Amino acid sequence: MNFLTIFARNLKQGPQTEAFPLGPAFTPDRLRGRIEFKAESCEGCRICERVCPANAIRFAKTPDGMTFDCWHNTCVFCGNCEFYCPTDAIHQTNDWDLSHVNADKFDMVEHGLIPNQTCVDCGATALNTAPMVKNAKPPLSTEEVAEVRARCPKCRAKYLKNRKVPA
Amino acid sequence: MSTHNVPETFSIPVGPLHVALEEPMYFKIDVQGETVSHIDINAGHAHRGIEYLTTKRTMYQNVVLTERICSLCSNSHPQTFAMAAEKIAGIEVPERGIYLRTVADEMKRVTSHLFNVALLVHLVGYETYFMHMMQVREIGQDMLESIFGNRQDIGAMCIGGVRYDLDDKSIAYIKGALDKIEAETKDIIKTFKTNGSILRRTKGVGVLTHADAITCGVVGPVARASGVDYDVRREAPYAAYDRLPLVVHSLTDGDVWSRAMVRLEEILTSINLLRVCLRDLPGGPVNINDRPDIPPGQAVTRSEAPRGEVIYYLRTNDTPQPERVKWRVPTFMNWDSLRFMLQDAKIADIAMIVNSIDPCLSCTER
Repeated sequence: MNFLTIFARNLKQGPQTEAFPLGPAFTPDRLRGRIEFKAESCEGCRICERVCPANAIRFAKTPDGMTFDCWHNTCVFCGNCEFYCPTDAIHQTNDWDLSHVNADKFDMVEHGLIPNQTCVDCGATALNTAPMVKNAKPPLSTEEVAEVRARCPKCRAKYLKNRKVPA
Repeated sequence: MSTHNVPETFSIPVGPLHVALEEPMYFKIDVQGETVSHIDINAGHAHRGIEYLTTKRTMYQNVVLTERICSLCSNSHPQTFAMAAEKIAGIEVPERGIYLRTVADEMKRVTSHLFNVALLVHLVGYETYFMHMMQVREIGQDMLESIFGNRQDIGAMCIGGVRYDLDDKSIAYIKGALDKIEAETKDIIKTFKTNGSILRRTKGVGVLTHADAITCGVVGPVARASGVDYDVRREAPYAAYDRLPLVVHSLTDGDVWSRAMVRLEEILTSINLLRVCLRDLPGGPVNINDRPDIPPGQAVTRSEAPRGEVIYYLRTNDTPQPERVKWRVPTFMNWDSLRFMLQDAKIADIAMIVNSIDPCLSCTER
């Protein structure tokens, strides 16, 4: 009798399977899918490279700056990079559709470049990374962050040391 | 027809790749007519060298690696590993993190048990009900996917707490899903108690007596179905289990039906624990929000995975990589008891009896 009830219910409800690819597939907001990298938010701390269990993330120094590469065919979509990133520069979207033809297998890469810049103080060439000022007290204003950002690491430290803290 | 030339005993192979086996396990079975007279168990088909790999990766990478040892207890492994690391480093997990660990643990237990019992129904030959049970489990799988972002490797754990958080919307969603699973599970229990096909195939089959259970040192639902009243969540509480109304179910018959029934009852207990957790969920941070170096030391921790007690041994040194990680998984204790369960069983029941210990070879052979 129990089973007949289920049978009647299933007859009324119709198939439980999803219509994909003819219809949309169930995709929750939190789904851990394709990696997205925002170079302008990156501090260049390279923690994502160190916590990635699959070694899918690689940073490399080039004449233009520092490149970021996340190989989606190596990635295990664990989300460690996003979890440990101090500035939310790396993010997992809920895009799960990573199917591709074999010829494109080396293009399944999220690429980013942190460009070089010339320090406004000393003129040295340094990476234009987001400044590590999360713990600065009192918090920096947007203008101050931009000023810190325009400098090389040494001049950034000097700037923060000489910063006038209002009493 | 003459029977003169037919030998009395045959030796038949079951596995390692067999249509009815859940996992790659090889059995050399001597049969007399249709009755099993001797069993030889041979393992090693799912070895991937993960124990070695853990010593080549940092502690923080290993949380993800241990999660990928097994898909059905993919929460118990990183949790026990993280507990060992926290013990060495003296890290205290925030109160909210402790509760959220329990939530992740129990959600995985619900889906894991439903999967195993569904497979039992499949092996009984009741395909339609198997489909129905897998559909019930799908409610749980959708829940895991919506809360954690993946159906199996939920990635809830980190050293020092959990990686996810719940808001009012997700708590309401979980509660709704639990209501559905609970109603369906109660129906399944009723079916298991009354359905003739299931009862005839599973009652009195693959019996493991209380004495044999003690001899083999079995753990988890296999032990509890043979009257060994033992659950790590009660004996050595971790996470938030010391504050929860945990009921440990045990039966005395030790047959396939009892093991399935223990699992089904545990699903209802897990749902109750989840509801209490969600009700009492304290505020505050979910993890320590830090990535401390783990100092040299060693620790042993244990937890109750869906299949039983899992024990982790961790030894660290001055490097970011652990020096040794060793785990003892429930299946290692449980598969020896198959010799007792399969003795004098019928050939047709072999796959069902093997399934009833819920073997996980990817854990055992890693």
